[in-house]
Amino acid sequence: MRLFKNNSAIGSLAILVAVVLVFSGANVGAQDVATGSATATVLTVLAVVASQALQFGDVMQGVRKAIANNVDASSGIFAITGASLKEVSAYMQLPDYLWNSTNEDRLVISFSATDAVIDTLPGTPTAPGLGNSGNVDPHNLPEFQLANAGTGSIYLGGTVWPTVDQRNAAYAADIILTVAYTGQ
Amino acid sequence: MEWKNCLNIKAGRAGRRVLVLLPFWLFVVADLSAGVLVAPTVVYMSDRERTGRITVQNPSDEPKEVSVYVSFGIPESDSLGGVRITLADSAITDPRSAADWIKVFPRRLILGPGETQVVRFVARPPKDIADGEYWARIVIRAEHGQTTIPSANQVDGIVTTLNMVMQTAIALKFRTGNLVSKLEVYDTRIEPSDSLVQVLVSMENLGNVSYVGLLTSILYDANDRQICQDNIDLAVYRKLTRNLNLPIPEGDFQKPYRVEIAIGNEGRKDVRAEYAIPGNRIEYGLAVE
Repeated sequence: MRLFKNNSAIGSLAILVAVVLVFSGANVGAQDVATGSATATVLTVLAVVASQALQFGDVMQGVRKAIANNVDASSGIFAITGASLKEVSAYMQLPDYLWNSTNEDRLVISFSATDAVIDTLPGTPTAPGLGNSGNVDPHNLPEFQLANAGTGSIYLGGTVWPTVDQRNAAYAADIILTVAYTGQ
Repeated sequence: MEWKNCLNIKAGRAGRRVLVLLPFWLFVVADLSAGVLVAPTVVYMSDRERTGRITVQNPSDEPKEVSVYVSFGIPESDSLGGVRITLADSAITDPRSAADWIKVFPRRLILGPGETQVVRFVARPPKDIADGEYWARIVIRAEHGQTTIPSANQVDGIVTTLNMVMQTAIALKFRTGNLVSKLEVYDTRIEPSDSLVQVLVSMENLGNVSYVGLLTSILYDANDRQICQDNIDLAVYRKLTRNLNLPIPEGDFQKPYRVEIAIGNEGRKDVRAEYAIPGNRIEYGLAVE
């Protein structure tokens, strides 16, 4: 449905994007790792990449710090590459705490119901493309259709809540994004 | 297949904006090489061919730590047609789950820059299982091979590190005996508004394999002019409700409208013919009131 068949500018752009993707560092065209006999198999490769980690920068004791989903330098970014116009389901496992290296102290982290944006057309966190979903709940991401070029991005924000006596330390946790085609 | 452009109203404006944003987007995709690539996206196994394989490739310049495990999850929907695939690693009660008897070799690997590795699967199904298809999800988890975490004496203040872990879940289908692909539509709801006709199609799988096909919905006006079309790739394992949106562009369309719905196995270019199981075809029409 999202084929802009009657618009030559969009059609040309789609071809340009496809060419750029094939010859860019994405190396998406190099899917000769498949079982090798069918073009169809090659087309359906699905890859998810963390382009940028969610970064909170300097955190002060007792001062909560929120990063919005539209900050180019700090928002978490997952990029998804798959087959053109295919629908995918995305599921995010989000931590409740970050832990220090000795697991003796923890830092609370939270994600609100508006901390994620799904963007299926070219864009950035500050300027998502026309295919953006608006703010959505990262705990309950809706399924979405990849763009003509087979791409989609998820931008993520969040908030950390250090206590007034939060220990100076390095705190770490995992954010896990699982992606699957819904039509297979 | 003829497609009707439903979104050309905004296409010109969209094109200009997309062109402006293209350099920013290319900056983002330039780092796509940081992930691992997995192919194919469906693994088929059977009682005659009890081994399968996928190939994992690291196209980046950095080593990647990859783990592969078997889980269970099928597409499930809510009442509004939203689809989720929720993975379950334990306490799986679905009798069609193959997650407990699919073994993976190797389960963990380190892929150097540009390296490729084959991961193999072996099915050890219980004796005398019923005919049909058994399902699992192969989850491929990729992380950076080397993570820099500051040591305690290096930390001056509160430092946070969020490891962004990437997982791809691909379908595994084990087939045995006589295979039947059959689907039934048990409810269709049409919810029209001024600019959109929303169609909710509720289906139930009556066969013993997942029904993989294409759901097509076409909106016509009173003069049989096609207004809009929407297609969805279908994979019905149990029950599934899908939501099709048919926007009504500005134009001289005469009411009453009607919706033609077709469901069939044809038209799926991503399913190789040798793995397709032909099933029944469903076609019907409904008035938009």
